[in-house]
Parts: sequence; C-alpha cells; structure tokens
Amino acid sequence: MTRTAGKKSYVRLTILGIISLLSYYLLLANQSLVTDYFIKGGAYALLPIGTALYFSFVHGAFCSGLLTIARISAKGSSH
Amino acid sequence: MKKWIVAILAAIIAMLVLAPAALAEGAPPSDAKKGEFIKVDTANRTAEFRPVDRDEPITVRLDEPLAVEDVHLDKKVMVSLSNDDGEQVVTEISVMFIGLEPGTLVALLIVGFVGGLLSGFIGSGGAFVLTPSMMSLGVPGAVAVASNMCHKFPKAMVGTYKRFRYGQVDVKLGLMMAGSAIAGVELGIRVQKMILDKWGSSGSDLYVSFVFVVILVIVGSIVLRDAFKSARGGEAGEKKPRLALTMQKIKIPPMIHFKKADVVLSLWVTVPIGFATGLLAATIAVGGFIGVPGMIYIVGASAVVASATELLVAFVMGLWGSTQWALSGLIDIRLTLLILATSLLGVQLGALGTTYVRDHTIKLVMAAVMLIVAVSRGVKVPVYMNKLGMISVSSGTADLLNTISFWALIAALAVAGGIISSAMIKGIIRARIEEKEVAASRGA
Repeated sequence: MTRTAGKKSYVRLTILGIISLLSYYLLLANQSLVTDYFIKGGAYALLPIGTALYFSFVHGAFCSGLLTIARISAKGSSH
Repeated sequence: MKKWIVAILAAIIAMLVLAPAALAEGAPPSDAKKGEFIKVDTANRTAEFRPVDRDEPITVRLDEPLAVEDVHLDKKVMVSLSNDDGEQVVTEISVMFIGLEPGTLVALLIVGFVGGLLSGFIGSGGAFVLTPSMMSLGVPGAVAVASNMCHKFPKAMVGTYKRFRYGQVDVKLGLMMAGSAIAGVELGIRVQKMILDKWGSSGSDLYVSFVFVVILVIVGSIVLRDAFKSARGGEAGEKKPRLALTMQKIKIPPMIHFKKADVVLSLWVTVPIGFATGLLAATIAVGGFIGVPGMIYIVGASAVVASATELLVAFVMGLWGSTQWALSGLIDIRLTLLILATSLLGVQLGALGTTYVRDHTIKLVMAAVMLIVAVSRGVKVPVYMNKLGMISVSSGTADLLNTISFWALIAALAVAGGIISSAMIKGIIRARIEEKEVAASRGA
C-alpha cells in the first residue's frame, strides 16, 4: 500500500464516517417524524426499503474501509 | 447475450418463487390496524381510535380481557379489530415503537454484530435470535419479524458482494435452488394452514417445534460428525460426500454445470432438492439451516461455496419479504438500522473470515448453532403440549422453560461468535507469519 493510497483511504473513511454518523443522528433525532411516514404502507413502502439500501451502501462502505484501515483483509489480498 | 437473458429470466422466476418463501416466518397480519388512541371512556369501555390511513377517528369498544389501562394515548399502536354487529371491537393492543433506552441500544448492537458475523460466515443466522430478542424487549411480534426481515436483505447483499469478490458464490446454483423451491414452499404453507385450522396456533407451534427439533438434531449431528471427520483427515478429509457423488451419477438431461460448486448435476436432481428445501424452509422458517447442508451433502458443493450461495438466496428472499412487510407499514426502521450499524461490520468480518479457515470450521459452527437452537425449541415443546391439554405444566415451569429457550438462543450466538473469532484470529496470525516467511526467503 503506498503512502498516497493510505492517505486516500483515511480521507474516504472519514467522509463516509461523517455521512454515516450524520444519517444516524438525523434518524434518531427525528424518530417520531420517521415513524409517522414509514408506517403508512402502500407507496410509502419505498421509504424503509430505500433507507435500508442507503444505509447499507454508506455504512457498509464505511465498515469495509474500517476493516481495511485495521489491516483486516481476506487471505491473499494485499493489506 | 444469451447467458444474460437466461440469468434475468431465472432471477425473475426466483423472485416470483420466493414470494411465499420470504414470508415463511409469517405473512403480515391482515386484520391489524395501525393508529393512535386519542380519547378513552372508562365508564363505557370505549375509545376514540384514529387509524393512520384516516383523518376521522372511529369509536371502538374494548373486548373483555382488555383493561382500560391497556389503551395508551398518543402512542402509535397496532390493534386487532373485529366487527360485532356493526360495532368495531378491539381484541388486542400493542404499542408499535418501543423507547430506545441505552440498554436496548447496546443489546441490539451486540446481537446485530454477532448475527452479522454468523451470517457472513455460514450464510444464515441471526434471524433465529433477533426476532425473539426484539420481542423480549417489548416489540410486537409482527413488527419484530418485519424489522428483522428488512435488516436481512441489505446485510445479505453486502455479504454476497464480498463473498462474490472472493470467488465463492455460485450464482446459477443459488437461483436454481431458490427457483425449484416453489412447490415445496407452497406445499409447506398448505400443510401449516391445515394444521393451524385443525389444531389452532398451539397445535401449529407444536408441529413446527417437533419438525424443527427432529430436522435440526439429525442434520446438525450429520454436519458435526462430518466436521470432526474432516478436521481429523486434514484437506484429504474434505472429500465430496457419497450421496452427492451418487446424485452426480444420474445423467438425465438437461445436465447443468455449476462452475463455482464444481459439479455437473441433472436438473431432475436439483428440482427435488429445491422442493425439499422449500418444504422445510416453509415449516421451520430457517431456510439456511436446510439450504446449506442440502448444497453440501446432496449437490456436492464445498461448505465455503454453499454458505456463500445461501447469502444470495437470503438477499432475494429478504428483499421480497421486506417489500411485503413495508407495504403493510410494519417495519420499525429505527430497529432495522440499529441492527445494521453493527451487522454490516459483522457480515464483512465473517465473509473475510471464510478465506482463513477450512471447510470443517464452517461445518462446526453450523452444527453447533443448529444443535443449540434445537435445544432452545425443544424445551418449549412441553409448553405447547400443555396448551393443547396433552400434559400439565405449571405456569412457573412454563416461564422457566421460556427463559431457558431464550438464553439457549443467546448461547448459540455466543458459541458461534467464539468459534468464528478464534478460528479467524488463528488464521490471520498464521497467514501473516507465512507472508513474513515468504518475504524473508525472497530477501535472502
């Protein structure tokens, strides 16, 4: 891993971490608003599905970056 | 081009097929209404209830076992309504959203992480403990199933992606297995309904528990025996099972080549395997416990490929199931996302862990989980038999058995987490030593 790539990984991880943390903060700070809309059913079904997908991309990428920084990677792949 | 058309068609068929399978844990209740109580009349035992889909409140009467104290004002509730001569009668009330206390948060995060780790490692897991865990925190059953289902598909998606990158997922096998499960799932659900109609919910619980315990003990014991055998025999011990080799001798066309699983199998062998998997999955609601051993011992895939392919099946099933529950508006997205916070880390850790271990470790974890979960369900059998009047069990004993059952599930997670973590740490240390040795020999 080169120094530049390492730096890039940290920057990417920080950005993803901030977005992820902010998303969780918004969710928990607006619980009643969220639950009002998410239980309406019908076309509103897109809300929980879309939100779960959004978190899986953002937070999933953050977790992946976290493992890379911690040098925990699959056998055979470069650290 | 032709390959892509076949793949898309197979995916569409699988989606249609998996609709009932995705709801194996139970379909959204049709008689439940969501809304808020805005006023209660203690003297007349009536209340003003405003459903989420209406602006005007309706007057409802509280059914006899319900107390006025059960009516929570200005809280989202789910009620079961029945019509009695034009009057709406409330038979059950559940508060939909629990308060997120620090203890609840920590419990969800821990269970989410270990569930994710297990899922990434053996292809399934977590669901069997997440639903009862949420219910023990006070979440209504339907909301617990819905929220758990909604966390399953993003977790399985991330797990599938990771393990696909490690070259472990057999996409064709996953779609074929899922697709051929249609008849089995349909039959399984019909049998369930028949039992429910004839013997009620306790009869159904008893039947499910009986099948669950018998299947899990038999399959779990086979997997455990095989895991020890493989461990003793080293890499040579990890041979294709005899039953799988017999299946591969059946050469009735069309023959299908499953590249990652490294087997050529007749369509007429794959279909009954899928059928049996679907039948059992619809009955015991933990498809992975049947799907993964099925792919190992009958198809002949390695434990690594079978567990990775199961994640693909879980993703498709989870996405479809979540859509159904979301349409009913029963997902508590806060619970879903809190579990995801740690399970997305766990699933990736579990997935990469499979690259450091041999097949027998995956089998050992699976067997341990299956056998402990069987104990968890087994101890509840006397409770269901008591409800059916077959035996007599005191309420104290019933409570004790329910507690043992719950803690056995937690023990299953703990044991699995322990085996996976220790195997991974050992594997990572070994790989790093090997890397250093290779680097040193190159330098010399």
